[in-house]
Amino acid sequence: MTWSGKLAAGLGLAGLIVLFGLLGPLLTGDPATIRDIGLTPPGDGHLLGTTITGQDVLAQLTHATRGSLWIGVLVGVMATVLSGVFGIVGAYAGGVVDEAFSLFSNVMLVIPGLPLVIVVAGFVPADQRGTWTISLVLAITGWAAAARVLRAQTLSLRNRDYVAAARVSGEKTWRVICMEILPNLLPILASQFVFAVVLAILSEAGLSFLGLGAADSSTLGTMLYYAQNGFALQREAWWWFVPPGLIIALFGGALALVNFSIDEIINPALRDRVRRRRDVVATTPVAAPVDEDVVLTVSDLNVVYQGATPVHAVKNVSLTLRRGEILGLAGESGCGKTTLAYAINRLHRPPAEVTSGSVVLDGVDVLALGPEELRAFRWVRLSMVFQGAMNSLNPVTPIRAQLQDVLRTHRPSMSTSDREARCAEVLRLVGVDPARLGSYPHELSGGMRQRVMIAMALLLEPQVMIMDEPTTALDVLVQREILNEIKRLRDELRFAVVFITHDLPLLLELSDRIAVMRGGEVVEYATAEEMYLRPQHPYTRQLLASFPSLTGERGALIR
Amino acid sequence: MGYHLRKVAFYLVALWAAVTLNFVIPRLLPGNPVDILMAKLQQRGGSVDPAARQAYETLLGTGGRDSFAQEYLAYLGNLLRGDLGVSVSAFPAKVTDVIGDSLPWTIVLVGLATLISFVLGVGLGALVGWKRGTWLDSLVPATTMLSAVPYFWLALILVALLSSGLGWFPLNGGYDVVLDPGWSPEFLGSALYHGTLPALTIVLSSVGGWLLGMRNMMVSAMSEDYVLTARAKGLTGSRVMVRYAARNAVLPSVAGFAISLGFVVSGSIVTEQVFSYPGIGSKLLQAVQNNDYALMQGIFLVITIAVLGANLVVDLLYGLIDARTRDRSTVS
Repeated sequence: MTWSGKLAAGLGLAGLIVLFGLLGPLLTGDPATIRDIGLTPPGDGHLLGTTITGQDVLAQLTHATRGSLWIGVLVGVMATVLSGVFGIVGAYAGGVVDEAFSLFSNVMLVIPGLPLVIVVAGFVPADQRGTWTISLVLAITGWAAAARVLRAQTLSLRNRDYVAAARVSGEKTWRVICMEILPNLLPILASQFVFAVVLAILSEAGLSFLGLGAADSSTLGTMLYYAQNGFALQREAWWWFVPPGLIIALFGGALALVNFSIDEIINPALRDRVRRRRDVVATTPVAAPVDEDVVLTVSDLNVVYQGATPVHAVKNVSLTLRRGEILGLAGESGCGKTTLAYAINRLHRPPAEVTSGSVVLDGVDVLALGPEELRAFRWVRLSMVFQGAMNSLNPVTPIRAQLQDVLRTHRPSMSTSDREARCAEVLRLVGVDPARLGSYPHELSGGMRQRVMIAMALLLEPQVMIMDEPTTALDVLVQREILNEIKRLRDELRFAVVFITHDLPLLLELSDRIAVMRGGEVVEYATAEEMYLRPQHPYTRQLLASFPSLTGERGALIR
Repeated sequence: MGYHLRKVAFYLVALWAAVTLNFVIPRLLPGNPVDILMAKLQQRGGSVDPAARQAYETLLGTGGRDSFAQEYLAYLGNLLRGDLGVSVSAFPAKVTDVIGDSLPWTIVLVGLATLISFVLGVGLGALVGWKRGTWLDSLVPATTMLSAVPYFWLALILVALLSSGLGWFPLNGGYDVVLDPGWSPEFLGSALYHGTLPALTIVLSSVGGWLLGMRNMMVSAMSEDYVLTARAKGLTGSRVMVRYAARNAVLPSVAGFAISLGFVVSGSIVTEQVFSYPGIGSKLLQAVQNNDYALMQGIFLVITIAVLGANLVVDLLYGLIDARTRDRSTVS
């Protein structure tokens, strides 16, 4: 179901129940009328049968639904206001106020609610226990979780530019909160309100069932209380006991659906996707190898994102990579260079599909591999270094575990000490102290993290390494160091590199050959020297011209 | 301040808040609990000497004779000595003894049920998130529906169907009353048999929350770069799912344990009432029905301490499974 479908279904069901509670009491008779037809099963005259004293269950149900909804709304409003005050105002004010409010919410959160409510209800004499008292107590014990969520959201909103702009321009605090912050919190507030209503109805039902509910109201909980004390289930009078609980469950379920859709509005990643399909739809038969020296051949590769309007992200791309060669792949963001790199390793995700072409790596037809063969192929023959090493390393395990994972999977027979030794060896290769093996990613600098990623890519001595913008997020000096490292390692270990970046001048220094991509096509493919001296395509010239020459002669810094 | 110190300090503050709440509530609310208690005590043949009255007044308020501060200090002093007063509903038993008898039942029942529910919910949630777009997706609305059902309603229907109807489980109680409580295999077997249906109710009603939370986090985690890297590394699917995606996705579920534990404890109080389970929840209700304020307060305090303790343990564990929190300097 799509999010709008869920929203419609949830709102529809909840709306029906609300209507039932609002209009039902007008249409059914007096719920308190006693008749001498106790426990009549559902039938003519009494659609849902009668209670033990002959009262009409349907009439009771409509009044009870109204009572429960009223308490739910009361508590929902009060709890949302409380959570707003403590969550939004605290986070916006910051400093001591925030610390104090946040501490208060957290304390209220860990003190269990219902026992507290029971104790409070126990102290208040039954005749003074009205709807408002119960609602107030439920609200006071039920707002804290929402406040925490709102605080986190407000903290992140507070630092956004438009909020900062409003503050700098001298807007009053309450105005900034109401005009800039609240509208952005609306989905969350709505979801918290819905949650508070459901929780209140459930808690009130529990309290009433225990005989601690509001004395002046009739709710679904009190109805269940009387049903239970009238031994409804033991007398098999299910029509008396089941409907009140079912209404609560249906209402809760309906509002949960609403919450699902709100979640999906806030977080688009949760929305239903197209069903899984094959990542490779069709391939072209592989031609016989032309040259022993060629390690990777991509021929006429096509990748399409199968959306409502299919996007042809990679169009008839053909590339060859020789042993030990660095092939540069240049182009602006969105030109398909990353999609191409992922497709070579078949890492592209649905809805992307390879629609035709072939990828041959050292005699292996990559697009024809089965799932298990593909898994065994990855990293052994072809490893990758991704854009942004910050997020490429698992934040919750030490570097050691992430390096050893590779050996454990691809070299299961390796002994523990050999594994440890190999991990230390690759770290030394990239200039990282092996003592860092026990570190977590957040304890390393950005440059060091990228070195660890390169070390990881070296672990199994693959023939080809794909590097997707490996240095973009680093400062210029670290970038230089890492590029020099890559060249040195390539010279020592003789692997081939596909180096992806938008920085064409950098590629001119680094690579042997360069492919310039635009709109999914390779528009120019030549040696670095050729491209520097005689750029053919207007787009290449444009790219070259758009980077100011910092170094004068080509390679002035690197060599 | 280190992570652990900060956590311990927070829970000390929370504990102090709970203790103080316990002190303030009977003094702020209407009614005259001490008089009611003394009347009850007299009915049960207890002594109505000034000493007994004073003990209750320390707990519930002297009606303005002593200052608030004096009362508070006396109350804290009693707590530190482990003196929670005398129960009138179980006269002449001390509140601590009544709690001591019933607490293990609840801890085992709620503890096991919560653990099962957490493991089941998180495990299923990880799987549902991982296998998105398959039939497993339908587990989400199904379990959410179950968590919207009132605990006691579900429990009573299960009793009617499985115990009264099919006779698979006993109707109520914590063990077969002909047996003597002890560590004998018969008794343990009987306790297990009696505990199954209450535990099942708790698991059924609470598993949906864990499942949904875990599934949503799993979906977010799967689009993270480290999962892509793990796939590129040629790791097996199960390894990527468990060590990379689920390992990260589970963190919010663990961090949010406090919220969930509150629900489970609340639900189990009602569930105990349905099953006449000899735990602390049914004792609390018994205390409420009999105006046994001393017992009521004692139980509230013990439940709160147990929940705070469980949360402290979980928070300290969280520091172990997420190294980043240990190094963060701000209170979160």
